[in-house]
Amino acid sequence: MTVAAGIGYVLIALGPSLSIFVSVISKKPFLILTVLSSTLLWLMSLIALSGIWRGFLPLKTTSWWPYAILILSSIAFQEALRLLFWKIYKRLEDTLDAFADRVAKPHLFLTDKMLIALASGLGHGLAHAVFFCISLLTPAFGPATYFVEQCSKVPFFLLSALIALAFVTIHTFSMVIAFNGYAEGNQVDKYFVPVVHVVAGVLTLINLAPGGCTVGIPLLYVVAILTLIHCGRMVWRRLLTENRISLNHS
Amino acid sequence: MESSILESIGVEIIGVMSPVSICMFLVVLLVYSLSSSSSPSSAVSDIRTAANLVYAENPSDTAAQKLEGALLNALVFVILIAIVTFLLLLLYYYNCTSFLKHYTRFSAFFVLGSMGGSIFLSLIQRFSIPVDSVTCFILLFNFTVVGVLSVFGSGIPILVRQSYMVCLGISVAAWLTKLPEWTTWVLLVALAVYDLVAVLAPGGPLKLLVELASSRNEELPALIYEARPTTVPRAGSRGGTSLGLLVTGVTAGEPSAAPSSSSSSAIELQAVSRDNKDRNVNDNLNENRDYGGNEYSVVPMGGFGGERGQGGRDDAEERSPLVRNSHGDGESGIVDEERHEGNGNRGGDEEIAERGIKLGLGDFVFYSVLVGRAAMYDLMTVYACYLAIISGLGCTLILLSVCRRALPALPISITLGVVFYFLTRLLMEPFIVGTATNLMMF
Repeated sequence: MTVAAGIGYVLIALGPSLSIFVSVISKKPFLILTVLSSTLLWLMSLIALSGIWRGFLPLKTTSWWPYAILILSSIAFQEALRLLFWKIYKRLEDTLDAFADRVAKPHLFLTDKMLIALASGLGHGLAHAVFFCISLLTPAFGPATYFVEQCSKVPFFLLSALIALAFVTIHTFSMVIAFNGYAEGNQVDKYFVPVVHVVAGVLTLINLAPGGCTVGIPLLYVVAILTLIHCGRMVWRRLLTENRISLNHS
Repeated sequence: MESSILESIGVEIIGVMSPVSICMFLVVLLVYSLSSSSSPSSAVSDIRTAANLVYAENPSDTAAQKLEGALLNALVFVILIAIVTFLLLLLYYYNCTSFLKHYTRFSAFFVLGSMGGSIFLSLIQRFSIPVDSVTCFILLFNFTVVGVLSVFGSGIPILVRQSYMVCLGISVAAWLTKLPEWTTWVLLVALAVYDLVAVLAPGGPLKLLVELASSRNEELPALIYEARPTTVPRAGSRGGTSLGLLVTGVTAGEPSAAPSSSSSSAIELQAVSRDNKDRNVNDNLNENRDYGGNEYSVVPMGGFGGERGQGGRDDAEERSPLVRNSHGDGESGIVDEERHEGNGNRGGDEEIAERGIKLGLGDFVFYSVLVGRAAMYDLMTVYACYLAIISGLGCTLILLSVCRRALPALPISITLGVVFYFLTRLLMEPFIVGTATNLMMF
């Protein structure tokens, strides 16, 4: 629908992540590298998943449960990858601390660790937005638009941009929650993230039903806002306790 | 509160990755805006280059024919490049340095003028920009001349030089994307293999070139992108470019050849000491490794009007090694070292070093060619190939810091790029498009 609409869709999906990137991440080169590597990891997971599922595609069923299996297996794979990412991060943290000792600088602060977690989450979200939304947007820069049957009132591009925005938020902040959960050993946080991911994925299944997107997408946003709030509360709590500890020591 | 290490780690890597990313992004933009206008068949038939000498790809050939033709093309191209590299080696051996300097200046002028000019013309045609030919010619001429000056001259701001490097890379890459598809892929793989062999094998021309240059303690004529400016006024400076300052070693008063440059492709990690008095500065920079030239050749094709080009110069592009300047600190990993700003007279053994990474121009070109060719298929492949190339670049930098010898810059990135392209195109796209058009995402 012309270049303006195309750029608009891109910004809907990627606008907030772009502002996070410019304001927080671009200042520290290491975080840019973290974003790139987590994006790469997500891409590799997608390739692996599509390799596994390629033999079964295209799914010609009208029932919903093959799609459910598809989504659940993909999400399970990605959550396993998140655990792997956490292990790699732990080792990286040790290397960075050793390096900091060598150049006589302090070890990583809590805010640094959270920033790294944020950057990894942003990488995941960016990869999701690019592969599920932006790469399909090329026709949107042209003179026409495209509608899907199940949701025939809104252009497909707008729908995918909205869904991508919700998922970017979920991915970005659930990584922060997950890293903090693993670091603290907090069970609630540890299980919060996969559950949220599964719920979000399953919610998109509602979009298969005709007219389902009027229900599915707002619910998805509810989940995204829930993730945001939980992350905010958790970060606030941790920063306060950290401050209190450092005040007590000094 | 002290600043954390997160502030400064990885600055140089980003300093190299950003221009590569910008170059790739602009090439993708160019490919998209220019290819949508012209039909693919006309663009293909216009180009007759060194890479197309043997076999001109025709869409109606069978797959086996195309593969065979592409292999022949790639073989011819690689042989041509090898010959020109050996020629360069010979010229360098006989100390014809000024000839090489002038040759590379001319080649930069030619590339910016002809290829840059043809890109400008296509853009003007595509977007119907109202500009007359006299203005266009004057602008192009100015652009080219400033480009030649900035690439080799001294006293030009580093940003201008970096932008012109990127422009050179964009021009060649955008032109090379006009090659037919099978030829492009086979050519990329062949060049990656050639790079590997030329740098690591005992008789490889680039390896010999590097050894020759380091034994003479000189700098090779090369076109290199520098990621970090040096603003050090060195005592006894030869008045060379900052390129020379960056490359020539630390030992005081070391005579170095005038830093001429022709095109090159390599990555170099440099530690330049700020203080070139001969105190204990050299526990760090013990050798001064320079690296192989990258000869730049282009067989002129339909330049401005789609006419068949004749003879002219033959340029070949080669890959050059990755060389690391060992910083004797025993630093492991690619992370940056503390940069201490200091005045000249420092007693004791605290070293003052500033690191900069330099990347040869050929790497820019071939990374962008890969991404440009991926852009002709779909945006998904573009992003996948971009990530693959960037991660290959990162891996190569890590290997560089571990191996501490001349390493080729192309193989890992090109291999990863090609693999990811085909995996994405064949495996991922049906999967993702299928789920996304049903509005199911995860």
